[in-house]
Amino acid sequence: MNKNNQLSELLSAWEETYKKGQLTLWIFLALKDGKKYVDEIKTFVEEQSKHTMTCESQSLYRNLRKYQHVGVVDYETGVGNKGPERKYYFLTKLGHKLLDNFINRNINLFFNKRIKNLIKKEDSK
Amino acid sequence: MKTLTKNLTYFAVFFFLGAIVFRYGLSHFLENRSYNLVWIIAAIYFIFNFLIGWFFGKRDYESLPLYDVGFRFHFATYFLFNIVSVLWFSLGFHSNFESIRIVYVIALFWGIGLLIHLIFYLIVRKNSIYGLNKEEIFE
Repeated sequence: MNKNNQLSELLSAWEETYKKGQLTLWIFLALKDGKKYVDEIKTFVEEQSKHTMTCESQSLYRNLRKYQHVGVVDYETGVGNKGPERKYYFLTKLGHKLLDNFINRNINLFFNKRIKNLIKKEDSK
Repeated sequence: MKTLTKNLTYFAVFFFLGAIVFRYGLSHFLENRSYNLVWIIAAIYFIFNFLIGWFFGKRDYESLPLYDVGFRFHFATYFLFNIVSVLWFSLGFHSNFESIRIVYVIALFWGIGLLIHLIFYLIVRKNSIYGLNKEEIFE
């Protein structure tokens, strides 16, 4: 195995593990951006993650049902662009608080000056 | 926690109808001393319950993965089967070769099994939020 192949395989393996559990964050960010129906959430996630995250509609529905069940997401029905009624999902108060707390504890770490510099800095070795 | 889901309701309806058909077949064949057919209807009843349990149970989990180790479906089965059986005897539909004592004995031993299942359910419930496994909510 040459060095490039090795790097590519290691990167894929790491990304696969890293992405697990990220879908929730992306869905919540999509809903923080505003009420959306499933296709809009899917588009948001894929576009904003620069297509590093992909998700099936069925998987989104399943996740949204769980979030709704635990009270962090809810929906209201509204007319979609193409006519039929759609479920527009949004974050509840609890959902907003949960996302804020999660971001404060897990995402904002990366915005600390020292870490930011380390991320920016290219490894010269 | 949401307990009575759409798929559990469908399962209960099918199970209830199946239990009536089974009771009818059992009493009818016993009355006519068709003992071979008793075995056949019991086997069909078993397969039917297995299939509806598998079908609606799977759909129920895919729809909302409630972390109950199958307790809701087990409880519905126990409750409906025994209600149908007791009513069958109370309304006098049973054959002369059936005794209600058997129904009570089944309910008692099955009830012990159900109680053990309830204990398992209460144990795993500690690892859940609103009935969902903590590790599966944000997977």
